[in-house]
Amino acid sequence: MPERTEEITPEVFNHLVELAALALNEKEAEYLRSELNKQLSAVHELEAIELDENIPPASHGVPYPADHKPTLRADVWRPFHQTADITAQAPQFEDGYLIVPEIPHTTLE
Amino acid sequence: MHLCDLSVLELSRMLRAGEVSALEITESCLRRIEVVDGIPGRLDHVESEQDNTRVHAFITVTPDSARKQASEIDLKLAAGEDVGPLAGIPFSVKDVFCVENTPSTAASRILANFTSPYTAATVQRMLAAGAVMVGKVNLDEFTFGSSNESSAFQPSPRNPWNTAHVPGGSSGGSAASVAAGEAHLSLGTDTAGSIRQPAAFCGVVGMKPTYGRVSRYGLIAFGSSLDCPGPVARSAADAALMMNAIAGEDSKDATTARVLVPDYTQSLDRDLRGMRIGLSPDFLQITYPDPDSGDYSQQPVPEEMQRAVMEAAEIYRDLGAEIIENVPMPNTKYGIPAYFVISRVEAASNLHRFDGVKYGYRTKNPVRDLKELYQRSRGEGFGLQPKLRILMGMYVSAAQYSEQYYQRALRVRTLIRHDYDQAFDPNGKYRLNALLTPTTPTTAFPVKDVFGDSVMMQYADQLTVTANHAGTPGISFPSGFDPVGLPIGIQLLGADFSEDLLLQLTHAYEQATADAEWRKRRPPLLEEV
Amino acid sequence: MAEYETVIGLETHIQLNTLTKIFCACKADSWEDEPNTNICPVCAGLPGVLPVFNAMVAEKAVLLAEAMHAEVLPVSYFDRKNYFYADLPKGYQISQFDRPLAVGGYLDVPIPAAVDAQGRGYVRHVRIHNLHIEEDAGKTKNAGSRRMVDFNRCGVPLIEMVTEPDLRTADEAAQYLIRLRQLLRWIGVSEADMERGNLRCDGNVSIRPIGSKDLFTKTEIKNVNSIDSLREAIRKEIDRQIRTVEEGGRVEAWTLEWDEDAGVLRKMRSKETEADYRYFREPDLLPLEISAEWKQQILADFPERPLDRRQRFMEVYGLPEYDADILTQERGLSDYFERAVKAYGGDPKKVSNWLMNDVLRMINDQNLSPAQMKLTPEYLAELILLVDAGTINLTTGKTLLQQVQDSGKKPARLVEEQGLAQVSDQDAIRAVCQNVIDANPAEVEAYHSGKDTLLGWFVGQVMRETRGKADAKTAGSILKELL
Repeated sequence: MPERTEEITPEVFNHLVELAALALNEKEAEYLRSELNKQLSAVHELEAIELDENIPPASHGVPYPADHKPTLRADVWRPFHQTADITAQAPQFEDGYLIVPEIPHTTLE
Repeated sequence: MHLCDLSVLELSRMLRAGEVSALEITESCLRRIEVVDGIPGRLDHVESEQDNTRVHAFITVTPDSARKQASEIDLKLAAGEDVGPLAGIPFSVKDVFCVENTPSTAASRILANFTSPYTAATVQRMLAAGAVMVGKVNLDEFTFGSSNESSAFQPSPRNPWNTAHVPGGSSGGSAASVAAGEAHLSLGTDTAGSIRQPAAFCGVVGMKPTYGRVSRYGLIAFGSSLDCPGPVARSAADAALMMNAIAGEDSKDATTARVLVPDYTQSLDRDLRGMRIGLSPDFLQITYPDPDSGDYSQQPVPEEMQRAVMEAAEIYRDLGAEIIENVPMPNTKYGIPAYFVISRVEAASNLHRFDGVKYGYRTKNPVRDLKELYQRSRGEGFGLQPKLRILMGMYVSAAQYSEQYYQRALRVRTLIRHDYDQAFDPNGKYRLNALLTPTTPTTAFPVKDVFGDSVMMQYADQLTVTANHAGTPGISFPSGFDPVGLPIGIQLLGADFSEDLLLQLTHAYEQATADAEWRKRRPPLLEEV
Repeated sequence: MAEYETVIGLETHIQLNTLTKIFCACKADSWEDEPNTNICPVCAGLPGVLPVFNAMVAEKAVLLAEAMHAEVLPVSYFDRKNYFYADLPKGYQISQFDRPLAVGGYLDVPIPAAVDAQGRGYVRHVRIHNLHIEEDAGKTKNAGSRRMVDFNRCGVPLIEMVTEPDLRTADEAAQYLIRLRQLLRWIGVSEADMERGNLRCDGNVSIRPIGSKDLFTKTEIKNVNSIDSLREAIRKEIDRQIRTVEEGGRVEAWTLEWDEDAGVLRKMRSKETEADYRYFREPDLLPLEISAEWKQQILADFPERPLDRRQRFMEVYGLPEYDADILTQERGLSDYFERAVKAYGGDPKKVSNWLMNDVLRMINDQNLSPAQMKLTPEYLAELILLVDAGTINLTTGKTLLQQVQDSGKKPARLVEEQGLAQVSDQDAIRAVCQNVIDANPAEVEAYHSGKDTLLGWFVGQVMRETRGKADAKTAGSILKELL
């Protein structure tokens, strides 16, 4: 089915790569694009399945009846004491802040 | 027999009887690791022939802290203090769990330099029960895979029964380390069968608990609605002890269920009489779409797998259970395509946080702006398999496709769940206590054999994945070997929160086959030990 | 301006004043803290963490929904909104997309005559689209070619409330915010201080020919930190749009950032290139269920809304709009007033006068809340009653206000202790009047020769003699008689 293999065209692929914030080299890009198209044939199986209107989507397989649901959290402060261990993991951390390069802007009016 | 090869039950008895110290037990495992593991997985490893001769289960061995933990247990014992049910028992942790002050890498370059500031709930519970962590074991990168080969930390784990073969995945390191006697227990995760399949490949017991039975806090997320932390062990009794320690509600995981945790060891020897165990034709073949025609083809599960299942059925029948054949589970064949969609959407989102800003890998290349920082860090830090899943996830959840793919897949999940509800409904037609099935359509394949062909790799999970969709529990346990000496595993699937039944049935099978010839075999690798 | 009508919608983000963040147990308020100290693995988006919902957030949200006459949905869902930004540690924001906590609702905003072109004043009915719960992001600030990121604010609970495009002038927009701020403080769900960022507002502005019912391309105004800035920014944008159209151009869907220092709007980015957020149900959280019992419990002490009370004060108490506004500005003062009125039992206007002038000044000067006053509403009422009865005169009464506040003693007791009771005994006053007349023959003479105004002087003398305790009226009439 020729049209199926090209469902993810280079254009669509590039848009996905943009959304995913990934920089790919050409070889990777071609491999990934062709793999995606191959895998899509499995995904398309879903379309053929007869789904009655009454079948709802399930975010979880197991139900959570009222007696299984955990209670919601109470509004009580419990500070995390090793905040320095968290910030120590940052690739660039100065004067108490995580540092990143500037965000791309468009022109000023 | 070495201490590292004994059962948890036996070791616990010896420890409390003063016949052995916790430190001795730990040293036994550490020595085994030294002898059979070879180099641990690392970034930028250059492939060599040596790779196929050792187990390579570990990424990080933690001998110092292990010895410290063991010594503390010994001190407590000497002082007559309470030491916990898993006291002194060495365990390995799949490196997808965060452990404080330990590298927690998810087998990815993007987290290779990440030292976690906190410890996962399940690991904390193990430690609180007195268990001793010997190290972090290897996995498929971010758990994406069924052979462990996609890890960025090479050499990836090998199957102790034949080190030129894969251990399975993604909890390959967990299964291999337990099978090789490097640890008695391992904490793994099962998202589509990633505990059960490697357990089958490596000839050990692996359980996927009910979703919500065990806390996911500290588990680096892949498929949030599918992931289940669970035990890998060498027997049902050992797995039961571990389940006692890790199961139960956690205030840090809002999806854990408020269901009482029974003592899983208490029910192991219960009588099987009157239990109803089902067999389903839908689990005795792999159904997949022909890549060209799109029509469904069926390939029966290999003969030796079917035979293992039938023999097990006979054993259960002899023990007084009723075997119910031809239980339909008609939506089994939709498990893989639904999984493709649901897991990718969740994975793509869960991997958004790896951006080079807060932790982990940041590109060394100069960048113009923040956007380029993201793109380069993620492009350089992620392996191909994560990238593939991220891109697929983006596609099937994009605004214009979401209804067609993602929403639809969630509805197919309802259908799959329905199969299980019908099979286990106490007032239904089948009223099963458990379903008996093969775990995998193949035994452990050679390294590099299947890796490139991703669709085929995925369909192999067909027998295990539907339990992840449905959220129901499952267990895989060894039942012999194939003609070339590779382990065969069979599976029991149960209703929500029926882990006690599954463990009981596994234990019964173990007892009934205790004297079998195949139980005397050891991995060839261990002959030299 | 005559040919065009303005259409304005407002999008507000309200920081709730819960003790802890929405999905973890860190503090919600970290305004005073050093950067990146009020964080934990969960709000910092570390690998492996999970959100756990704070029940108090739902409670405050239900209070707000009730205050806005919105319908609370018994089951609502959390969804992930996926995008990349430095202040968003998980790379997605947990929000509510298609099944929010509450839908519908409205606020009837009184528009005062002063800002009405017709000069009459009217009410603008502003409909609410929905009210949904979400988590706040961190803060970033510019430092040359770098950005500095602080996660302290990540995970603070927010309610996002979007109006329909029902507002028609910049002043109306400002009034909406003023009333919203008042309401939020009144029901106690937010400090609603725009300068501190606990109330944020973006405006959507478009113009259309008068009489048209269509909606034209709108621009979005962001980064306004005060109600005044919002008003000014909207005005400027309306002018710009009208100019653009009159010059033959088209309004494009720009996002504009307000520059407070320069007082201008700058274009940020085109709306067309917005990210695809790929919303999907948050798998780490269960659906949020607000049972009828829980809702009833939350709303058990739901107060009268400030605008409703303002209306009641005018209709039932007969207070003028000016008084009603001040006395329903803030709930504490308002409750004080009501208690005083009930204790007094007479004309509420009298209580209002005392409260708005002297008592309010005391409250402000001493930086207390009305509830903390030792001059309780009951004591105030008692004071007024004492003056009404003639036991003390007005001047004495006003002096006693501070004394009651300082001592905490009942007014009647103070009057007794200090012997402040007015002298209204006719004979006593008559005697004093006679003394004054006898002592001042020159003035008596002057009065008799026509200086009527000296009567006041004589009254003053009597007051002096009696140390202010004489009833001035009585003194006056007796003096007149005697003279």
